[in-house]
Amino acid sequence: MKSKLLTTAAIVAAASALACTLPVLADDFGRDRDHGHDHDHDDHHRHPHDIHTETPIKHLVIIFNENRSFDHYFATYPNAANPSGSIPFVPKQHTPKVNNLANANLLVNNPNTNPANGTGATNPFRLDRTQANTRSQNHSYTPEQQAVDNGKEDLFPKFTGRGTAGGAGAFGTNGQVMGYFDGNTVTALWNYAQHFSMSDNNWTDTFGPSTPGMLEVVAGQTNGVQPVIGTTSSIADGQGGLTLTGDTDPGNDVCSSTTSTMLMGGKNIGDLLTAEHISWGSFMGGFDLTLKNANGTTGCGRSTFSGNVNGTIVDYIPHHAFFQYHASTANPTHARPSSVHAIGHTHDLNGKVDPANHNYDLEDLYAAIKAGNFPAVSYVKMPAYQDGHAGNSDPLDEQAGNVELINFLQKQPEWRETAVIITYDDSDGWYDHQYVAPKNASYDATADQVNGPGLCGLGPNKQPAPKGLGGKPVNGRCGPGTRVPFIVISPFAKQNFVSHERITQASVVRFIEDNWLHGERLGGGSFDATAGSIMDLFDFDHCDEANKLFLDPTAGTVVVSVPEGHYHY
Amino acid sequence: MNSRTLWLLGAGLLCLAGAVFAAGTQGLAEPNQAGTNPNPVRLMRPPVAPLSSMALLGKEIFYDASLSSSGALSCASCHSPDHAYGPPNDGPVMLGGATLSRQGARAVPSLTYLDRHPNFSIGPDKGDDDNIIDLAQMAAIGQQAARTTKTAGGSGASANIVPQGGLFWDGRADTLQDQALFPLLDPNEMDGGSAEIVADKLRRAPYANRFVELFGAGVMRNQRLLIAEAMFAVARYQVEEPSFHPYTSKYDFWLEGKARLSESELRGLQLFNDPDKANCAGCHTSAPTRDGLPPLFTDHQYEALGAPRNAALANNRDPNYFDLGVCGPHRTDIPEQTQYCGMFLTPTLRNTATRRAFFHNGVFRTLEQVLDFYNFRDTNPEKVFPRAADSAVQKYDDLPQKYHPNVDVTDPPFDRHPGDKPAMTEQDEADIIAFLKTLTDGYKVEN
Repeated sequence: MKSKLLTTAAIVAAASALACTLPVLADDFGRDRDHGHDHDHDDHHRHPHDIHTETPIKHLVIIFNENRSFDHYFATYPNAANPSGSIPFVPKQHTPKVNNLANANLLVNNPNTNPANGTGATNPFRLDRTQANTRSQNHSYTPEQQAVDNGKEDLFPKFTGRGTAGGAGAFGTNGQVMGYFDGNTVTALWNYAQHFSMSDNNWTDTFGPSTPGMLEVVAGQTNGVQPVIGTTSSIADGQGGLTLTGDTDPGNDVCSSTTSTMLMGGKNIGDLLTAEHISWGSFMGGFDLTLKNANGTTGCGRSTFSGNVNGTIVDYIPHHAFFQYHASTANPTHARPSSVHAIGHTHDLNGKVDPANHNYDLEDLYAAIKAGNFPAVSYVKMPAYQDGHAGNSDPLDEQAGNVELINFLQKQPEWRETAVIITYDDSDGWYDHQYVAPKNASYDATADQVNGPGLCGLGPNKQPAPKGLGGKPVNGRCGPGTRVPFIVISPFAKQNFVSHERITQASVVRFIEDNWLHGERLGGGSFDATAGSIMDLFDFDHCDEANKLFLDPTAGTVVVSVPEGHYHY
Repeated sequence: MNSRTLWLLGAGLLCLAGAVFAAGTQGLAEPNQAGTNPNPVRLMRPPVAPLSSMALLGKEIFYDASLSSSGALSCASCHSPDHAYGPPNDGPVMLGGATLSRQGARAVPSLTYLDRHPNFSIGPDKGDDDNIIDLAQMAAIGQQAARTTKTAGGSGASANIVPQGGLFWDGRADTLQDQALFPLLDPNEMDGGSAEIVADKLRRAPYANRFVELFGAGVMRNQRLLIAEAMFAVARYQVEEPSFHPYTSKYDFWLEGKARLSESELRGLQLFNDPDKANCAGCHTSAPTRDGLPPLFTDHQYEALGAPRNAALANNRDPNYFDLGVCGPHRTDIPEQTQYCGMFLTPTLRNTATRRAFFHNGVFRTLEQVLDFYNFRDTNPEKVFPRAADSAVQKYDDLPQKYHPNVDVTDPPFDRHPGDKPAMTEQDEADIIAFLKTLTDGYKVEN
C-alpha cells in the first residue's frame, strides 16, 4: 500500500511537471459538466481547450484597471524605500533594469521643476502606503498632450496636476501629479513583475480618459461616434464624423446617463470571436442588476463601502463598459445569461440566442469557471472601488480585487494554459517621463497640442492622420498617448522579465486575433493592424506551471497557503 | 472617470430607527426589557491597528507647541484630547497669537468624527464622468431646484441642492491635510508666521528624520512638499488614532443591544427623531448607514439658522462685521453665491454634551440655551434675541437684513409662527438633553 501511494504520487508529480507540454484532455476540466450535451459535436459550445490556437494559451483574462502611469507605479522598481513599519519589499537578484525615473536619473533635477509649473513645480516624490488615497489628476485628451510639451515632458503639474479632493483623509499637494508609489504600496504588482513578465513600453493608443481606453482594448479605434442622447465628449474628425476623446456613457444602457450617451460604428474583437464560436465575455463588477449588495443596494445603484477611500462607491460605471458601445456586442438591459453554462456563448444550450450577449457580472466569471465553463477570452472590470482610479479607488483596494481573482485563477486546472494581463485604460495624467513621437497624427486646431497648437505629428502633409472608420484620415486619435503598466501572469510568461518592445492597448486585440483567429484583423481603421506584438512577454517553449504566485490580497505579500474566501453575494 | 460617490447618509434607515424606537418605548412597560434596543444592529467601526510611521510623525506634530509663535499652543491646545478634541476652555472661542490674547474668529469645532467627512460640493451628485464642474456651475444648478423640507425620516436631505461637506464651519478645506494648516498660520491661533518659518522649524524638529525616511532627502529642500507632508501626517494621525472616532457612546452600545437607555433618554431619542417635535434627526442623522457604519449625527449639509449675535466676540464690536459662513469672510471663493450667506456646517452631535461653546460664534454656552433657541426662535423670539432701543425684538441680529430670506423657516421646528405652540415642553428639552448626553464617548458597558 505504501509503495502504491508512492507510485501514484510519482505519476502525479511527473504529470504536473510536464503538464504544460503534454496534450491536456478536455476531461481534465470536466467538473460539473453533466448537463447532457455533447461537447465534441456542438460547434457553438466548444471547450476553449479544443479550439485551435496559435500558442498554448487557451484562456486569456484581461484585467483592465484604471488610471495609473508606468512611472507612477514603477518609478524606483525594484527598489522600495522600506521605511520603518512598512511592508518591506526585497527585490530578486538579477532583476532586469526598467525604463523608469530611477534609471533615467529623473528623481532629481527633473524638468518638471520648470518654473512654468508655478507652485506645482517639483521633483518626483514618494507616496507612502498611508497616502494610497489620493486626488485624481486631470486626464483629458488635450491637457495630457500639453503636459508632453513637444517631448520635453516638463509641464505635468501645470496641465494634468489637478483633480478631485478624494475625501477628508486624502493626500493632496501642489505638483502631486509627480508622486509615485513603490513596492511598499503596490506590493502585489511588483511581486507579479518579479515572478512573471512586464512591459516598460506599453502605451494607451490615444491620449484621454477611460472610454477611449475601453474602446482601444476591444476595438483598437475611437472614430465613428454615433450620439444617442445629447452631446458626446468627442471632436469633429475632419471628415464629417466624430472621434471620441472623452468619457461618454453607452447608449441605451439602463444604467447610463439620461443626458449624454452614444454608440460606436464599426466592430470589436467580440464580433470576430462570436463569428468563430469562440467563447468570450465582458465581466464587470456591478453589472448584474438582480443582485443585492451587503449594504442593501440594488440595480444600477449597487455600491460598496471602501475603508481606504472612506466612501461608498457605486460598483458599475457605464462609461467603462467595453462592449456596450457596439450594438452587436451590447446587453443594454443587463439581461442575465440563461444558465452558468451559457456564459461566454452566443447561444444557450438549446440553441436559442442567449439574452446576456456576452456581457456579465464579475461574479459570473467566478461562477462559470467553477462550473468548468472558463471562456476563452474574458475582459474584466473590477467594481469601481477596486478599479484603481484615484478618487473612487486606490492602489490598496485595486490590489485586493486583482489578487483575489489571480489567486483563484491559479488554483484552476485550466491555469496551465491561461494568461492574465493586467493593464490600464489611461494614466490619470500622472507623470511619466518617457516621450514617444506621435505615431498616429491628429491636427484638430484646438484639441491637439503635443507638438504645438493644432499639431500632433509632423503636419498633415508629412504625416497624415490615420484612417478612420470610413477609410479617410481622421482627427482625434493622437497617440500613442501615455505609458501605462502591462503585466503578464501565466505559466508561459517569461520570469522576472521586462520587455522593451513597444506595444499598446490594441496589442491585446492583436494577440487575440493572432492566437485564435489566424491573424484576422478588424479593419475600419483599427490599430490592431499596426499595434506591436506582446509575444515577447511569453516563452512558449518553457512552461513552468509551478511558478504560481499566491499573494495576500491586503498586503500584496507572498503567502504559502492560498487564502479562500471570495465574497459572493 | 470619477465615479458616482455616494456618501450615503442613511436617511433611508431613519424610518427603521423610528420603528426600532417605537418598539423600545413599548418595551418600557416591561421592566425586564426596559431601555434596550429590541432590534440590535451590528456597527462597523474603523479597524484598529498600530499607528503607521506616518501617523506617529503626525502625532508628534499634533502635540508640537514649538510650531506656534507663543511656543505654548499646539493643535492639541484647542483640540484637546480630554475634551473630545474640542476646546478645553469656558469661553466662546479660544485665545491665540504670540501672547495668547487674540480671539479666534469662531468656536473651535471638535476634530472627532471627521474621517468620513465628504468634500465640499453643491448638489446634485456630480455624476460619474471626469468633467470637473466648478462651484459656480454647481450653485447655478442648485438655484434652479426647489429646496426640500428636511424631516427626520424623510428623504429631503439627500435630495436637497445645497452646499454639503468640507471642513471648518464654512467648508473651506476639503481634506484634514488642508484643514490643519489654517490654524497653524492663523495670527489669532497658532500664529506660525509663514510657510518659511514653519518649514524651517520642521527641518530642525526632533522628528525631522522621519520626513527623510518617509519621503526621501529631497523633501527637506522642497518647502511646499515638506509642509504638505507634515500636514498630511497630522491628518493621518487623526484617521488612524482610534480616539478620534471611537464610537463608544452609550447610544452606540444601545444600537448594538449592549446598553439600556433610561426612560428620559428614550423619550429624548423619540423627540429627537420625531418630525413633529424636535426633528433634530432631520439634519443630525441618528441611524446607522446602509453599510452599517455608526451614525455621525450630521448630514454634512449647510443651514442658515439665524443664531443671535455674540457680543463677547471682539470682531462684533464693529457693527458692520458679519460672519456669513459659506459666502465669507473666512471663505473667499464663492462670495457671489449670496443665497448661501449665513449658512454654516451642521456639526456632529457626538460628544456635544462635553462642549461649552455652541454654534459658529459660540453664542450659546449650554445645551439648554441651544434647545431654547430651536424651540422659541419663531414662536417666542423675544426669549432668544435681544431687543433694540425701541424694544423691538432684533430677530436674526447676526445677519444683514438682505440675507434674512436665507434663514431656514421650513424645516420643523422652524416652521412655526409667533403665538404658535412651541414644539417642545420644558420636559421635552430636558429629555432631549438627557439623550444628547448618551452621545458622549467612553461609556462602559456593564456585563
